Amino acid sequence: MLPIAVDAMGGDNAPSAILAGALEAAALGIPLLLVGPEGLEGIDDLPLLVASEVIEMDDDPAQSVRRKRDSTLVRAAEAVRDGKASAMISAGNTGATMASALLRMGRISGVARPAIATPVPVPGGHPTVLLDAGANAEVQPEWLVQFALMGSVYSERRFGVENPRVGLLSIGEEPGKGDTLRKETYELLKVAPGINFIGNVEGRDLMTGVVDVVVTDGFTGNVVLKTLEGSLRTVVKALFTAFGQPEYADAANTLMPALLPLYETLDPDTYGGAILLGVDGVCIISHGSSSARAMVNGIKCAQEMVETGMVEAIRVAISSTLAE
Amino acid sequence: MATIERNEVFATVCRHLAEILEITAADISETQTLADDLGADSIALIELVDSLEQEFSDIIPNFQFEDDDLSGLLTVADAVNYIVLALGK
Repeated sequence: MLPIAVDAMGGDNAPSAILAGALEAAALGIPLLLVGPEGLEGIDDLPLLVASEVIEMDDDPAQSVRRKRDSTLVRAAEAVRDGKASAMISAGNTGATMASALLRMGRISGVARPAIATPVPVPGGHPTVLLDAGANAEVQPEWLVQFALMGSVYSERRFGVENPRVGLLSIGEEPGKGDTLRKETYELLKVAPGINFIGNVEGRDLMTGVVDVVVTDGFTGNVVLKTLEGSLRTVVKALFTAFGQPEYADAANTLMPALLPLYETLDPDTYGGAILLGVDGVCIISHGSSSARAMVNGIKCAQEMVETGMVEAIRVAISSTLAE
Repeated sequence: MATIERNEVFATVCRHLAEILEITAADISETQTLADDLGADSIALIELVDSLEQEFSDIIPNFQFEDDDLSGLLTVADAVNYIVLALGK
């Protein structure tokens, strides 16, 4: 397998957390290609692709990719395009990561727009795939149908779900619920080949296991995702605060063995990031605040997506729908 | 700077547009508008500008579409003229 290109300078905790995660992943036998400035310290014997610029978290995505051509993000995407790497991963500027992948790797033929697919944890089950989680604030009904198809392929390949159930995020289960976009999309999904459409779903269904793939526009998807993350963080903090009281010490000691695995299930770092579906290469977008653990898991995910032929599977799925 | 004729620039712009929009290059004319006639939205325009910058940077040193000029790229001819002008500088 070709190495996975790791943007060493992307993210709030770069480069220390990124390098710590990369070294840990390399120790597991995953081939890596770090992309960073000349003389980057703490990389041991990992290969380094030198890039002199860094796209900052607040840089304009499209503009920075065009202006900072020797940035770590752009060089990582080019490494995939040029066959020097099998995948790329970055915890940096999400928009710029998307733009780098789109502009350097290109879109899979027939894909109107790439979408960010994020695994949403489901206690006791496999994660629900939510897309689009932020790539396209405004969408067309036909794009959502493609998102449904790409999300289905991802759910199958990453989580082993057979014939994934696809739901359209709306404000009620009935077909007539929602705005014009949801109503038009509903009608298209109902007859779309290769998609196991189960109808509208609501926000409360995301973490219950009643649906495997949830499609929505990038604006809504991002709001949903951030709301979930914030809510979970608040609940976990409240639980730990309560268990920290002396009078609950015994109860905490009893319950912790059961709660810690649940905490791991709900922790976004467990999944290591989202994937940009629809571009002609594997691109993992990690959280800006990614820890070393998140990077290890993101790199593992990239490896898995390469080995399971994720991009090719999407290419086949898209081309088969275009042929029908 | 290498010599390149206007019709070659037009052909190159058409090739990039065809790849990005998945249309036939031979069907593109200079008078067509990028948005309304060819269906290029904002993302497609960024893809076009970026790919043209990469294509022509070899023969026009530091070639870039200035951000303030992007709103003026309405037709295929606008893109061709922009590059031709840069070639003449």
